[in-house]
Amino acid sequence: MPASNFSVSRKASFDDSLMPPCQIACPLHMEIGEYVDLIAQGRVMEALQVIRSGNPFPAICAYVCTHPCEDACRRGQVDHPIAIRALKRFAIEFGGDRMIQEEARTTYSEKVAVVGSGPAGLAAAYYLRKLGYPVTIFEAHSALGGMLRVGIPQYRLPREVLDIEVQRLTQMGVEIRTNTRVVSLDLLFELGYKAVFITVGAHQGLRLGIEGEESPGVVDGATFLREVNLGFQPSVGTSVAAVGGGNVAIDAARTALRLGAKEVKILYRRTRAEMPADPAEIEQALEEGVEICFLVAPIKITRENKRLRVTCIRFELGEPDASGRPRPVPIQGSEFDMEFDTLITAIGQAPRIPEDFHLRIGKGSTIQVDPVTLLTNRPGVFAGGDAVTGPATVTQALAAGRQAAQRIDEYLRHKYPLPQKEKPPIAKELLPKTIEVIRKAHRLEPERLAPQERVQGFRPIELIYDWQSAVDEARRCLRCGMGAEILFQDRCATCLNCLRVCPYHVPYLDENGTIQIPADQCQACGICVAECPAQAIVLRKPRDRRYIDEELHHVFSTAKQSGFRPLIVGFACQYGLFGTGTLSGLWKEAQASISIVPVLCVATVEPEHILRAFEMGAEGVFVAGCGEQCAREDTRFWVKQRVEKVRKALGQMGLEPERVQAFNVRVKEEDPVQRLHQFTEQISQLYLAAVLAQEVKT
Amino acid sequence: MIVAEQKPLEEIQRMIAPYEKVLILGCGTCMTVCGAGGEREVSFLHSALRLAQARTGSNTHQFSEYTVKRQCDPEFMALIADRAREVDAILSLGCGIGVQVAAEHFPDTPVLPGVNTSFMGTITELGVWDERCAACGDCRLAETAGICPITRCTKGILNGPCAGTKNGKCEANKDIDCAWILIYERLERLGQLEKMRRYYPPRNFRTIPRPRRLVNLVKADMEEGNG
Repeated sequence: MPASNFSVSRKASFDDSLMPPCQIACPLHMEIGEYVDLIAQGRVMEALQVIRSGNPFPAICAYVCTHPCEDACRRGQVDHPIAIRALKRFAIEFGGDRMIQEEARTTYSEKVAVVGSGPAGLAAAYYLRKLGYPVTIFEAHSALGGMLRVGIPQYRLPREVLDIEVQRLTQMGVEIRTNTRVVSLDLLFELGYKAVFITVGAHQGLRLGIEGEESPGVVDGATFLREVNLGFQPSVGTSVAAVGGGNVAIDAARTALRLGAKEVKILYRRTRAEMPADPAEIEQALEEGVEICFLVAPIKITRENKRLRVTCIRFELGEPDASGRPRPVPIQGSEFDMEFDTLITAIGQAPRIPEDFHLRIGKGSTIQVDPVTLLTNRPGVFAGGDAVTGPATVTQALAAGRQAAQRIDEYLRHKYPLPQKEKPPIAKELLPKTIEVIRKAHRLEPERLAPQERVQGFRPIELIYDWQSAVDEARRCLRCGMGAEILFQDRCATCLNCLRVCPYHVPYLDENGTIQIPADQCQACGICVAECPAQAIVLRKPRDRRYIDEELHHVFSTAKQSGFRPLIVGFACQYGLFGTGTLSGLWKEAQASISIVPVLCVATVEPEHILRAFEMGAEGVFVAGCGEQCAREDTRFWVKQRVEKVRKALGQMGLEPERVQAFNVRVKEEDPVQRLHQFTEQISQLYLAAVLAQEVKT
Repeated sequence: MIVAEQKPLEEIQRMIAPYEKVLILGCGTCMTVCGAGGEREVSFLHSALRLAQARTGSNTHQFSEYTVKRQCDPEFMALIADRAREVDAILSLGCGIGVQVAAEHFPDTPVLPGVNTSFMGTITELGVWDERCAACGDCRLAETAGICPITRCTKGILNGPCAGTKNGKCEANKDIDCAWILIYERLERLGQLEKMRRYYPPRNFRTIPRPRRLVNLVKADMEEGNG
């Protein structure tokens, strides 16, 4: 290794990447950029590993996550956000998640009780068990899962997915007590538990507080969904109304359709813009035939002839209220009647905490906890999930469970609770001039069942991506926070090459005459890295720096063992290569030993890399880009520059310039396999000629 | 800035032929900016030389590489004293100045030029460099609207344009702009066309004594200073 490269290898492992908006938005701070990138490369099993390292129950999230990451995704500023949840589902299914076995060993004697088995409880049990504690889950219902089991309809989360995750917990040695309602925390401590995590959820439906709410045929959403999910088949009649604008109202309405209701309405007192439900869920409900009556709410219910006469009033939107949404104001004299067989109220839920727990209860019947330690007013008693926050998302609950496990560990080990160190965040906004030059690419969604098929039963409605679509979708990722930086400021000659070559016009000269590469705009293509004459620029993520020297060493040590000559080295786009599988056809009947060095983009291949491949014994080198799939227009231009430079040098040292070739995979008009076969043949001939010449000489 | 281009590989190979251990020495200033001898070019040349040597099957040379911030100051040379001592020759990718400073600094080590120093100029587009200054020591740019006829006119005439200008291009090189047409247009734009109507007498180039020297300090008179 050259002496002056010493500092490069010293800093090789230094990760200077910034936290992208998706990761910030995720309550679990999952490494989304990382696994999306791995999927784009077709490395699905590695993607699954990354997913599992950041999420105890990724299969569940892959179905039901409300994906705040997608809302924060900066691709949304360009065209549409990356379909992160669907990609996770793809990685789960194609990466073999079902075969993964979890193991845990007991290293501590302190027993921990988890009261409630919703996502927060399951996550806490999972992480406590991983930490080595004996854990017992107490669940009042007959099966684990909490809201995952009794709240979320089966068409959104197949129960077998949940069962597999629960099964893993059992494998890990978590003790499970179903049908066991905890009535006293003192009893738990008497039983020898040293810490208790209360995560009983928010299952109590809020009441409308109107006349006739007690009538038969009126049911709250949480109870209704619980009955359906526990296998009862409540009869809803032919016409059903759900009151509310959240996910529970949507779930209840869609479930009623699946139970045979012909006419299902949602009554919501604001407009679609204010609906807290997931827009995709709203869209799907409408597709299935649910009708949403906006600016309407019931004020009185009367039961006549076994049907419900619901008196409603119309609203208009007024000034914003405390929640920031416009306050609905009733319009005097706009009352009207509607008739239904069943009315489902879904205007919110609250926890119900037994008084015997002796816990301090705060706003909305939730348990009050210390926000850092999650400790309640009782020593050793922690709480989290919906019971603390009020109704929230699965991912938030999982995050609460993970935090609780950490806090309980710190409590039991007498450690001071420290906040976790996190990477600095990247700015959220892309500049209009950056957006303008980013190549637009449509979001690819996995297919869904047709609406008429969906309402026949409780089958999951979303199908899985096919391989190609998943890879293409993942490639849309802008790689936020992984961009280029000037690592060696002392070497920078301020030559302005980076400013001139950047396809996104990101580097600029600041008022002091220093070149700046703003991390929040950089698209991490790596062209400036390869063009910097002082070799002062690196990509922030060590993996992207791809120490090609090391890769080459690896390639050649493998090739040496095989002994097959001539040796051809290909620098290939890491996305066009394994991701698309195009190059897999190359090895068939190949007349040479072909070794591939995957690179972030072929525009990052430097002339030195190509020369080094020759130096190490390659007879031919090709550079294979991903063609039409490339995120940039000028990749070919840069590849051409580098290839020509090497050809010139080869010519000067008496080698045939055609030993270096550039071509693209996935271009319709040229067949890369054909091109490579020609190239291989050419190199084989050159090699044979050289061998013959050598023999004639001797 | 000083612009240069790397010498052909064959020439470099011929130059280094007698020496076993060769240090390829880059320069982090002009040669980096013009892409002739910065960190990257040093490492490319290093690879190319090693490869060329491997192809011939000989193992005569041992190469090492290093890039200093600037070769035209002796202080930077002091930084590589240890490296220089270990080699038989230094292949400098600095401009002609860098080569000479290295040679002065290391009297016992042969210093070879790896680049052809071309001119003083600017980048006009990515990868294209153009000459702008001849360092004549008698700058007339105030009269010529900031466009140097000495450098940019093929004939270097002081009272142009000559009769060889056609459509703003030069008769000697039809691809380049006639400097005097550029001067005329810019003077017109600046409202200073009267400068075209003046006669500029020929310059006496013999008054430029080579090598030139600039002294920017007053030699201190110790006795006066102590007074």
